[in-house]
Amino acid sequence: MAKVSDIVLWDKPGERVLLLGNQAIARGALEANIAVYAAYPGTPSSELTDTMAVVSKKAGVYMEYSTNEKVAFETALAAAWSGLRAMTAMKHVGLNVAADTFLSAVGMGVEGGFVIMVADDPSMWSSQNEQDTRIYAKFANVPVLEPSDPQEAKEMTKYAFELSEKFKHFVILRTTTRTSHARGDVVLGELPEEIKQGKRKFGKFKKDPNRFVDVPANARKFHPVILEKIEKIREELNNCPFNWIEGDENAKVGIIAPGLSYAYVKEALAWLGVDDVKILKLGTPFPVPYGLLEKFFQGLEMVLIVEELEPVVEEQVKTWAYDRGFTIPIHGKDLVPRVYEMTTRRAVTAIAKFLGLETPINFEELDAKYEKVKPLLPPRPPSLCPACPHRNSFYAIKKATRARAIYPSDIGCYTLGLLPPLQTVDTTVAMGASIGIAHGLSIAQNGSLSEEQRNPEKQVIVATIGDSTFYHTGLPALANAIYNRSNVLIVVLDNLVTAMTGDQPNPSTGQTPHGMGKRIPIEDVAKAMGADFVAVVDPYDIKTTYETIKKALEVEGVSVVVSRQVCALYKVGQMRRRGMKWPIYQVNEEKCTGCRVCINAYGCPAIYWDEEKRQARVEPTMCWGCGGCAQVCPFGAFEPVKEGSQ
Amino acid sequence: MREYNIVITGVGGQGVLTAANVLGWAALRAGYKVRIGEVHGMSQRFGSVISYVRFGEDVYGSMVPEGKADVMLSFEPVEALRYINYLKEGGVVVVNTKPIVPVQVSMGMAKYPSLEEIRKVFEEDFKAKWIGFNAEELAEQAGHVVTTNTVLIGALTQIPEFPLDAEHVREVIKLSVPPKAVEMNMKAFDLGIKAAKEILGL
Ligand code: SF4
Ligand code: SF4
Repeated sequence: MAKVSDIVLWDKPGERVLLLGNQAIARGALEANIAVYAAYPGTPSSELTDTMAVVSKKAGVYMEYSTNEKVAFETALAAAWSGLRAMTAMKHVGLNVAADTFLSAVGMGVEGGFVIMVADDPSMWSSQNEQDTRIYAKFANVPVLEPSDPQEAKEMTKYAFELSEKFKHFVILRTTTRTSHARGDVVLGELPEEIKQGKRKFGKFKKDPNRFVDVPANARKFHPVILEKIEKIREELNNCPFNWIEGDENAKVGIIAPGLSYAYVKEALAWLGVDDVKILKLGTPFPVPYGLLEKFFQGLEMVLIVEELEPVVEEQVKTWAYDRGFTIPIHGKDLVPRVYEMTTRRAVTAIAKFLGLETPINFEELDAKYEKVKPLLPPRPPSLCPACPHRNSFYAIKKATRARAIYPSDIGCYTLGLLPPLQTVDTTVAMGASIGIAHGLSIAQNGSLSEEQRNPEKQVIVATIGDSTFYHTGLPALANAIYNRSNVLIVVLDNLVTAMTGDQPNPSTGQTPHGMGKRIPIEDVAKAMGADFVAVVDPYDIKTTYETIKKALEVEGVSVVVSRQVCALYKVGQMRRRGMKWPIYQVNEEKCTGCRVCINAYGCPAIYWDEEKRQARVEPTMCWGCGGCAQVCPFGAFEPVKEGSQ
Repeated sequence: MREYNIVITGVGGQGVLTAANVLGWAALRAGYKVRIGEVHGMSQRFGSVISYVRFGEDVYGSMVPEGKADVMLSFEPVEALRYINYLKEGGVVVVNTKPIVPVQVSMGMAKYPSLEEIRKVFEEDFKAKWIGFNAEELAEQAGHVVTTNTVLIGALTQIPEFPLDAEHVREVIKLSVPPKAVEMNMKAFDLGIKAAKEILGL
């Protein structure tokens, strides 16, 4: 088992390897001779970016972790304007951030192939909503390619660049969690010479103000051009190698299976033992190629569309069928749920109903049996890691505000501060929104310092935001709060990496995949913007953190406390790799009074309750040695044990 | 073989993904088509996790449907129970019996069921074969708790009709751990095999 980064660069055409969907896409981009890659990480897209980070230097590809999706989009777009093959990637909500540029620039088209990889997260395993990128694609009139397995993910990436170049149009490569985070066998293809030699490719931008300046006079010309392009692409997609008709040619029933749903449909049919159906496997849910539909509909008496989330294909098919005069029943969202992700069970259930069959497993019976298990299960939501510096920050914030403040928070590991016992997260909306919401709450409840009438009953508001999020979209919100003079405390939880998505660097880290970038200290930014109070603390020192927050709360205006300590998971990973050890804390049975403060107020997951002795205990395999418990325990019961270490 | 389905459950950070990967590579090297479904992002942080490993001639999606897993490999007893609905009737569960108590339980907001209770549900209500033992203890014997997943994988290879050869799986583990940890992992693998054999009466 070689390292994945090596496999992605292997010059071994024909070799069969196991790759994550996202890694397969990275390989596809290399096989397509990509020149520029820029992205902001976001689950489930991150591993694509991380893989590009590791291989880019050897492959001669420029790669960057951008500060947000919009600037990433612009970086890659400009490269594509310069004739290079370029790619950006993001999670579905990231496209909202990039949407301004995306929708305005689409009419300008591109010169080099431009592929926008967007990873949707049906069922919201790691996201704040469940939007369907195919709707964006339709909105923008940009074609979407959707792979059904890792092999196809790689091949489609290559095809996406070609399609984009051919029509000088944007192309979206859409995955879902189950493609991005599925590992499967992939056959490696040829790498272009330039990639093998690691040759950096440079482009040339040809000025054309009529095209690249989006003044209304130009923009007016774009819209018809876009519509013309998308219809041409619809034609082209009749011959797309990822669209085909299979199964029984003479069947009376047909199933349309876009993207990953194809895998579920195939599995469901095999499970049901049904083979007298015709399948339209659709790699391009938008635009649906009409020529292929025409062929598919021949001889059919009823059709089912098995698609995940929104009825994007269903609406296109139904409209087309109506216009064409087809009157056969077309089923879709009446049998397939519109929320949460597709599963084989869902596909089996829908197809069984469609065909009037029994499901192979009596799922209701299984569910009933499982219902009896549920009461036995204690909840186990994700939690802040042992030794996570955020726990200390939240603990200090809660103590300093006596739990009486409003706590707007943001997107990152620290959102987990929502859970007991910390419970210091009251709102989480979108990247960077904590500062904007905090400002709005302060204005609504107390008024701005620049107003004459203010509410004397002061509501304390403490916003939390991570370092990466701060640079992502926190900056304009901070400028706004300072400028408009609300009264808020912003605690920047600076753990020096983008931890939730896998430790990517950001301006607070300073490091880039190419070596040293330039570090931008958050406190300098806050000071330069004119915050009324700025301080930096180490959250591992709980007392000082608490005192600093108290002080900051007394200041009128916008205070910024940077709570800086490297992410514990990141640190432990580094230490493990270097064979370093750390102390383990344990409870001194003589001293523990069973007051439960460490559990009920602090909540490190390594600490548990010993029912028999009625005392706290530390699970040695989970302790990462931060010493937070020792600072929190009123009786000094936690002590480092020098011998234990991982 | 048309398809073989494994679900791996546990607590984020226990090495569920690593185990899935080892089994996936072993299946790939045995010539099968392979699909692994993983969890990433926030859900990994000490929360409940499930991964899927599927291989055979006829595999499509990366998730094992409910009621269709041939075996479950679980790193933690409650996390085995949480996903019991994935196991097929007559399926096998290989489970590390060392509990990890969630914070909610320590806070007194929830109860942790007893091992007997969990085992009973598997054996009586779901007609499953239970191969439970403290894998962490054996891992410590082998040299370090980090080898817990190697112990469990070793045990897994011993269940009746398991389609991957134990020696092939061993090879993949050898290639996937750092050179200085090979010996310790081989020992852990053997301890797992031994534990399963004892339980199965082989
Ligand atoms: S990954 Fe880092 S930031 Fe996230 S919870 Fe763990 S220690 Fe905290
Ligand atoms: S030292 Fe205490 S607070 Fe820190 S990880 Fe260990 S048990 Fe948890």
